[in-house]
Amino acid sequence: MSEILKIITRFIHQSVVEVGSVLLFVFKVIKTAATTRGNLRPIVQQISYVSFRSLPTVAFAGIFVGAIMVLQFNVILVQYNAEVFLGGLNTSAVVREIGPLIISFLLAGKIGAYTAAELGTMRVTEQIDAIECLGTNPIQYLIVPRFFGIVISSLILLLLGVMISVVGSMFVAKVLCGINPLQFLNAIPRFTNYWTLAGSSFKSMVYGTIVASVACHRGYTASGGARGVGKAVTLSAVFINLYIVIADYFTTDIVSTLIELGHHWMNGGEN
Amino acid sequence: MIRFENVTKSFGPKTILKNVSFEVSTGEILFILGKSGMGKSVTLKHIVGVMKPDSGKIYVDGKDVTSMSDLQLESVRSTCGMVFQHPALLDSLNVYQNVSFGLRTPQFNHAMKRTLNEEEIKTRVLEKLSLVNLGPEILERMPPEISYGMQKRVSLARTLAPGPSYLLFDEPTTGLDPITTNAVNDLIFELSRKLKVTSVVVSHDMACALKIADRILVLDQAGILAIGTVSEIKRSSEALIQDFLSETLALLPPEERAK
Repeated sequence: MSEILKIITRFIHQSVVEVGSVLLFVFKVIKTAATTRGNLRPIVQQISYVSFRSLPTVAFAGIFVGAIMVLQFNVILVQYNAEVFLGGLNTSAVVREIGPLIISFLLAGKIGAYTAAELGTMRVTEQIDAIECLGTNPIQYLIVPRFFGIVISSLILLLLGVMISVVGSMFVAKVLCGINPLQFLNAIPRFTNYWTLAGSSFKSMVYGTIVASVACHRGYTASGGARGVGKAVTLSAVFINLYIVIADYFTTDIVSTLIELGHHWMNGGEN
Repeated sequence: MIRFENVTKSFGPKTILKNVSFEVSTGEILFILGKSGMGKSVTLKHIVGVMKPDSGKIYVDGKDVTSMSDLQLESVRSTCGMVFQHPALLDSLNVYQNVSFGLRTPQFNHAMKRTLNEEEIKTRVLEKLSLVNLGPEILERMPPEISYGMQKRVSLARTLAPGPSYLLFDEPTTGLDPITTNAVNDLIFELSRKLKVTSVVVSHDMACALKIADRILVLDQAGILAIGTVSEIKRSSEALIQDFLSETLALLPPEERAK
């Protein structure tokens, strides 16, 4: 029993230390970005790099996830003779939940792992020390562009991913379920509005921040040669996915409350 | 001048340096010798503030680097050039961009009181590459496209480009052929004698140390085993130093051994 308690205590301690060190790292990155000049160009370059690299994967995932949702929803909606709601339900699910989540997992697997490996290799081969010794701040030179590049790209990819998914879903709904594309599109505003999209964007930015901060932190602090780089990549993937799932619960709660408040406010305080 | 005062550094339970104190005078070449894991590279990284000691002070030009902020350290680093154990070239930049990296920093421009134009940068890059026996044909090559020995020489050229007052070498000749090794040793010697550049060289190579060092410092068991001129070190009765010497002297020709 005491052994189990020790393991649990150690796990909690490690998690607190990990979260604390990532938060301190993020604070340092934001402070560096705010107090130094010439960051815009490398950030824009990084955004285009991350977005273009991830877009094909996001597009494929968007089309297939949309198609899966159409098939799943259609099975239930047919039973209630409510196929007219297919477009709305499908888009709502993609915008509210599946889109931000899938895109952040794809970003974690592709860009997060790449960033952790690249920075980790630079750390263990003393490239980061060399940058520092040549009078350049490595946080500004290496981390600031990557961090903001990933965060902003997550938002761009969400918007593109959702659009591609809707188009793909519409096509699948027409071919496999016989739903008219116009009927599909008309149902969307009944389940989704600007508030939903704003909430989804917020979620995507939070997950993008998690991917960027954990990947950059793990890579930047890697040590111990090739094995250390491997460990940094593995741990960054594990922690990113874990944090995203935890963050999903809280952001869903926050976004739902905000959307409700938004509706309440738009309806002039009437219930 | 570089001065270490009672510097202690531990990694977890293992103490690497314990109350280490020594000085390096301007224009001097100090070799730091010792077995692997004795804190030679750690000592070097403390000078430029890449590592901070647990206790003790380190002075560069009379300024305590242990209490400096990152911003203050940048000005100290602009006077120091460090050649790492690995070539440490930036993989995403070609040879020209790597060697010119230090010539584009705000600290360098501030020290020069102006920004160098591209023509001046190129002239300086080519000049430093020729010092390490490399020509303009490799300027556009990426680091993975050149051999390890060439990467080390490019790394040395990159360090020399901003014209530092202090040169810190972490095993500069490891992985180099004998001809380039000699060229690098001659270069360290010339920079020290002609330009009064202070050099601290971490090495396993006792032969190089005997050839060009003004003084030799031997680290062992987290402390200084011996420090002195070449002749003082040669006379030392310490077993580790005798081991180093006997291994080295056995490889030297008889006329060199007699010196």
